[in-house]
Amino acid sequence: MPDLRLSDLSVTPAGARRPVVDRVDLDVPAGQRVLLVGPSGAGKSTVLRALAGLLEDDVDARGEVLLGGRPARPGEVGLLLQDPLDTVVAATAGRDTAFGPENAGLPREEVWRRVAQAHAAAHHVAGRDRDVATLSGGERQRLALAGALAVQPSVLLLDEPTSMLDAPTAARVREAVLRAAAGRTLVVVDHDLAGWAPHVDRVLVLGRGGLLVADGAPADVLAGSRALPADGLWLPGAPAPRPVDVPAGLLAPQLAVPGAATGDALLTGRGLGLVRRRRGLRPAPPATVLHGVDVALPAGRSTAFTGPSGSGKSSLLAVLAGLARPTGELTAAPGLAGGLPPQPWRWRSRELAARLAWVPQFPEHTFVRATVREEVAATPLALGCPGARGEQLLELLGLAHRADVNPFRLSGGEQRRLALAGALAAGPAVLLADEPSVGQDRGTWAVVAGLLAAAAREGVAVGVSTHDERLLRVLDGPVVALRGGTRVAGVAA
Amino acid sequence: MSRDGTPAAVPSGVPSGVHRTVHTPVDEAVEKPVDGAGEAGAAVDGPVDAGVPPTPAQLRSAAPGPPVRSCGPLSLLAVSLLCALGALAVDDWQQAAVALLVQLLCLPLVVGRGASPGRRLVPLAVAALSVGWSTVLAGDSDEPLRTAATAALRLVVLVLPGVLLLGWLDPGEAGDHLAQRLRLPGRVVVAAVAALGQLATLAQVWDQVAAARRVRGLGAGRSPLSRARWAASTAFGLLVDAVRRAGRTAVAMDARGFAAAGVDAPRSWALPAPWRRADSVLLAAGALVAAVPLLVRLLG
Repeated sequence: MPDLRLSDLSVTPAGARRPVVDRVDLDVPAGQRVLLVGPSGAGKSTVLRALAGLLEDDVDARGEVLLGGRPARPGEVGLLLQDPLDTVVAATAGRDTAFGPENAGLPREEVWRRVAQAHAAAHHVAGRDRDVATLSGGERQRLALAGALAVQPSVLLLDEPTSMLDAPTAARVREAVLRAAAGRTLVVVDHDLAGWAPHVDRVLVLGRGGLLVADGAPADVLAGSRALPADGLWLPGAPAPRPVDVPAGLLAPQLAVPGAATGDALLTGRGLGLVRRRRGLRPAPPATVLHGVDVALPAGRSTAFTGPSGSGKSSLLAVLAGLARPTGELTAAPGLAGGLPPQPWRWRSRELAARLAWVPQFPEHTFVRATVREEVAATPLALGCPGARGEQLLELLGLAHRADVNPFRLSGGEQRRLALAGALAAGPAVLLADEPSVGQDRGTWAVVAGLLAAAAREGVAVGVSTHDERLLRVLDGPVVALRGGTRVAGVAA
Repeated sequence: MSRDGTPAAVPSGVPSGVHRTVHTPVDEAVEKPVDGAGEAGAAVDGPVDAGVPPTPAQLRSAAPGPPVRSCGPLSLLAVSLLCALGALAVDDWQQAAVALLVQLLCLPLVVGRGASPGRRLVPLAVAALSVGWSTVLAGDSDEPLRTAATAALRLVVLVLPGVLLLGWLDPGEAGDHLAQRLRLPGRVVVAAVAALGQLATLAQVWDQVAAARRVRGLGAGRSPLSRARWAASTAFGLLVDAVRRAGRTAVAMDARGFAAAGVDAPRSWALPAPWRRADSVLLAAGALVAAVPLLVRLLG
């Protein structure tokens, strides 16, 4: 089996002055398991793409990648991208996983055997006949993993394969990855250092500025951890980071809601249901994604929405955010509605934006402006109340130095923080955030958690869907547990 | 794989459905040559199906619906094309009316009970009316109404079968058939099918983008002008996103060996592309329907 060799890689994105990856040299012997960690935005995904020989055309890259002394052939190196939506090539789960084996020209029976093995290995349990469009974010991630495994590549490169999964599923998928990687070279990018370190042969630490700052056996790297960017890594055994302090008043709602101080519910749902109709070339039968959900969002508290992937968390947040018309009864408190009809889905765009904010699960598709600075200022400008909040939020979230960059150029973790900044800039009275802590390092996590907690202190009704245990402890509010689109018993996390 | 069922025969402990239960009676059934029918998947015990699943046409056959549901993509495409060619023979509104009547009589074979193709027919109705209307206004014939009726009906006869039949076309299945039966280049077919699949997610992304813009205070206002501007800017955002996504999807496809497909060994296809009896029946019946305008013209 061939060794993987990366020599003197420097990558400078189009329009950037500094490289995101700076003179990285890497030798990965065949069969080695490598974990690549580093702060959010340090260029981890870029290194992974370079290893796969699949850098985008518009970046300025120098250096060389060799597999067994020659350039890798496509398909020899399996790559799992961060956004599972990009990897979908077929309508059903089975056919999607079959794509790799088909390309390899395998006989039909062998193709489907591979599909079955890959689905089992990646814990894709939705079945091979399942329509890909109906899968939840976490389910898509597992299907994407299955697609990479089905090729049986000699080198497997995974970009945050467990970031969107709840802890038990993440552990199962990790186990599956390790089992599937037996006898292959494995390079994983993940923030979960504690989870992966016991199972890998080697840990690489990419520092801010794209330089390799540590390289060695997990124990050695962790022992020398004082030299590491401690803020940028989730070192095992370190205490949970303290949410950062946010200046008082920064997140105070622009709209003074009467009764907010007493913790009254700003949004109340009774028997909420949602049937999702799918449009497109071949409309499919509608699917019930929520039914009979009772829920209340109290002002000044953080309500957490938990449940396995596919349980309806994102759908419920979208309903509460007035983005879909549910069945059942969804009412805003009179103080919040302020003369408008009580159902948020009937509000007009600006009326909605003046009261409420939403951070989507995959924010990269929903940016509305061409630079980070304009993106944050978009809602305050639309509402006619420009202010300094946006700039302050960018500063806090560590995005100020990238204010002139196109949002699409940010890393996954940075995009998520930008979406949070954009949501908070106009001072909403209700904040609904879908998996806001995914892809964050220790330092940026502390800012995200700090912002969510501070918003609740300022009287905002905060709703957060998450599978992040640490975040649940910080939020410390009511917990709404969902399963199969309906609420199940479970008050504590 | 060994017949004695040793655990070592199952790669990395993964339950492989069919071959784990080697000595059970079920297995005897499964070990017979798989003919691609639905039984292969159903007979497997355990949580994972490892056999070749039924094709989309076979799945549709098993479900209730009008007779045309059992047809594959090639017969659907062929009959749509034949009907369109046949409509070119129309040169009189009476011929067109007879052809349309025959097409309408076949409607129950194509449209299921309860399923209304109404929305799909709206563009056709608009096109027919506007063709007729403009012929009345701008036509220089002696009998403008007659000419207009002929033009409008000819358009309906030309397009209607395609609109209804192609509603049954499954893009993935069409790819299988085009590549395996018509021997079109595999890479082109796969790229087209993947692009069509991305097109299907476009509606989903549009919803996401629209939702994000609405909640950020950038939604459509009430005036038609503001709505038009909103739609234009949302469409532009969608376009930018689609182009970027296409780039990332290409990376993902290459990472799964697409770039090298067909270089060392010919690309294989996960599902067969059978021509079935329903396809022959549709082709024969469709050819007759398509020939109606010509027959009426010759006889009349």
